[in-house]
Amino acid sequence: MVYELGTVGMVCPFPLIEAQKKMETLDIGDALKIDFDCTQATEALPNWAAENNYNVTEFEQLDDASWTITIEKV
Amino acid sequence: MIWTIVSGLIVGILLGFVMQRTRFCLTGGFRDMYVQKNNNMFYALLIAITIQAIGLIALTGFGVLTIDNGTFPLIGTIIGAFLFGIGIVLAGGCATGTWYRAGEGLIGSWIALAMYALFAAMTKNGLLKPVMEGMNSKTVGNADMVSTTGIPFTVLVLILTAVTLYFVVKTLRKPKKQRASLPQKFTGARHFFFERRFHPFTAAIAIGIIALITWPISYSTGRESGLGITTPSSNLVMFITSGDATYLDFGVFLILGIFVGSYIAARGSREFKWRLPDKVTIRNSVFGGALMGFGAACAGGCTIGNGLVATAAMSWQGWISLPFMIFGTWFMSYFLYVKPMKQAIETPLQSN
Repeated sequence: MVYELGTVGMVCPFPLIEAQKKMETLDIGDALKIDFDCTQATEALPNWAAENNYNVTEFEQLDDASWTITIEKV
Repeated sequence: MIWTIVSGLIVGILLGFVMQRTRFCLTGGFRDMYVQKNNNMFYALLIAITIQAIGLIALTGFGVLTIDNGTFPLIGTIIGAFLFGIGIVLAGGCATGTWYRAGEGLIGSWIALAMYALFAAMTKNGLLKPVMEGMNSKTVGNADMVSTTGIPFTVLVLILTAVTLYFVVKTLRKPKKQRASLPQKFTGARHFFFERRFHPFTAAIAIGIIALITWPISYSTGRESGLGITTPSSNLVMFITSGDATYLDFGVFLILGIFVGSYIAARGSREFKWRLPDKVTIRNSVFGGALMGFGAACAGGCTIGNGLVATAAMSWQGWISLPFMIFGTWFMSYFLYVKPMKQAIETPLQSN
């Protein structure tokens, strides 16, 4: 199941902190789709996923300063 | 004057551009040593300090410039650096970070920046000057590490280089994890300048070199110091409010350049957007900016002036303020991130 987490408008490091909080509540195999507009999170979120061996199934820039990433809990 | 304007703007644009593209953020780096247990950005800072320090051996050796570390107020440096550390976490970026985020269109950073510059000017020249002087006058000591310890500059730099190399090698030896990246859209120069991701250590090398070339360039305009953000920000406020052009030096054009460079980088990579923060973020930006301005003015520098430049010049002011700045970021991070996170994770368990 894919859960959506809107973090648009949040500044660094809140997109990551919110994602970490939300991920705690997810089951293995669930995924978290995070929309964000904080530039620094383009580094922080994929780094966090890699550190935890989570799968990134989607990572894209949608518009000016607007991104989406989907991270699957494994 | 033309050379001051042109050279200040060029160095600033370079710095702002590099920092925006590489997401070089010392506030985030200090914070994540504690919150995410990740020291990479701190090691990146050590790289930038070391490159500059080695370069300074050459510059002073060839007689291009002489460094005068002067004196420093011990208590003011400790308290100021700690308050500055608290401020940068609240404001979501250090002085340089706030300048370059303002260039990305973050309105919260504009607010933090205005408060930072105002409070730096108030502390250096105005209403808060007696507070700073009261705190700073009693504990003045020699800031020069070479004359106080008797250890030659070259040896201090060698020790620093060894420590930096140790951590860099240790970090790079760790097995690399597969990291997701954004799909590549451009090729050639556009990809390199406006899309490519850079390792923080690569960014640190570029920033160390910029910090180094700033020394002789700044001296050539009559301003005898390295990179600095706080005094220039204060000078900008003084110039704007008084119209007195003597406040306009290399440093003022440098900080304006950071803003322009970051804007160019963000525009080119489609990362510029006006972003309006919520009420709590605005409040934090106001208080954070004020603490940054007061703290940096008392401590005699910010993450750049003290953390990156005074450290490379082997000044006690740099090496004493750095740990207290870091403690300040950890202290505030506990209340802003760690405690709420613990509560959020514990609450659902309690309801079971």
